[in-house]
Amino acid sequence: MSIDWAALGLQALNVLILVWLLARFFWRPVAGVIEQRRAAAQALLDDAGAKNEAAKAALAEVTATRAGFAQEREALLAQAQAQAAAARTTLLAAAAQEAEALRREARAAMQTEQAAAAQAWRARASRLAVDIAARLAARLQGEAVQAAFLEFLLREIQALPPAARQAAALEAVSATEIPAAAQPDIAARISAALGVMPRITFITEPALIAGLELRGPHLRISNSWRADLDRIEQDLTHDG
Amino acid sequence: MISPLSNPPLFHLGPLPVPESVVATWGIMLLLAGGGAMLTRGLRLAPSRTQAALELLVSTVDSQIRDTMRVEPGPYRAFIGTLFVFIFAANWSALLPGVEPPTAHLETDAALALLVFLAVIWFGVRAGGVRGYLASFAFPNPIMIPLNFIETLTRTFSLLVRLFGNVMSGVFVIGIVLSLAGLLIPIPLMALDLLTGAVQAYIFAVLAMVFIAGAVAEAKPETPSTKAPP
Repeated sequence: MSIDWAALGLQALNVLILVWLLARFFWRPVAGVIEQRRAAAQALLDDAGAKNEAAKAALAEVTATRAGFAQEREALLAQAQAQAAAARTTLLAAAAQEAEALRREARAAMQTEQAAAAQAWRARASRLAVDIAARLAARLQGEAVQAAFLEFLLREIQALPPAARQAAALEAVSATEIPAAAQPDIAARISAALGVMPRITFITEPALIAGLELRGPHLRISNSWRADLDRIEQDLTHDG
Repeated sequence: MISPLSNPPLFHLGPLPVPESVVATWGIMLLLAGGGAMLTRGLRLAPSRTQAALELLVSTVDSQIRDTMRVEPGPYRAFIGTLFVFIFAANWSALLPGVEPPTAHLETDAALALLVFLAVIWFGVRAGGVRGYLASFAFPNPIMIPLNFIETLTRTFSLLVRLFGNVMSGVFVIGIVLSLAGLLIPIPLMALDLLTGAVQAYIFAVLAMVFIAGAVAEAKPETPSTKAPP
């Protein structure tokens, strides 16, 4: 057995050439495509990771925005509640003021009405009293009453100042007709009281109820139940 | 009967005699390089079935290099992978009628072992420089220098002998059985020879990786981070 050194050298050279050839045409291209795929997969993973991070960031932003919404909602609710409370307070105060004003107004109106009613009732009572008194006084017709009123008239005339007694014509007004026979006497007594001799005309006015009044252009002496009752009614009405 | 150990020249290339094993090697080279170039013409990111098979082969070689050498496979892939593919193809070329596997001849196995021996030196020097590589012979202490040196030679020789012995014996046995028993009897032996050829290709490549990894690891200078604290 011997070694063929030339064959050994050729085989070594052949294997070296084969190593180069396969490295050039097989190992490097296949390893390269594997590396490319790995790089592409890594890029996809990195991209996916970046997108995942971006999605997480977006989610965090949305969560923060939602939290902001909640806070803003709470703030708006609190503001609205505060505004509602303030408005309610204002409205309550305004309503209270308005109610108080209405109450005062109603009280004033009621007082006015009460005063008016009281006045009306007073006037009515006065009129009623005067009517009663007139009815009562109407029953007191007669010569005695007439004589008493004549006396009152004469006293009134005498109480007048002398200048006021000057009259040319006068009317003697009575509630009932004075008999013609009595008229000259009554005229004489009046003229005597006046101190002059006026022309006296006798007139009848049932409204006087009872009494004898003297009326002239510059002289008027009210001496009757009607005049007295009018004064009383006026006094009663004004007293209220 | 012609001795399986003989390697007569088929023709002469000038002064160089060209035996049958060299011609068979050329055929295998043509097949492997041509096939590789043809199959890798249309590589794409979305692989076809053929490309997936090629990538599986490359990935397996890379994985073996990573597991055995504990380094990135890039610088070693072409050499280790080609060793495996060539020995595998050479061993299985016995299936072709009239073709004797090149690895059944001592010169081919010696050439392969010589290339592994040179590759150990090359990668060792590249990893740690000439000084680093030579210093690796003094590991773990200078007394081991002769033994380490002898080991380098003997393990290379063992590569040669292991591959040659296994392949040549298979061819030899099949030849004897074929001459004695006829056509069909050697078939189980041929199947066993195929298994042996695949296993021997794998063993040769793994041992080459182990030798190169040992040289690289021992020649590589220690980094400060790997040193023990004082």
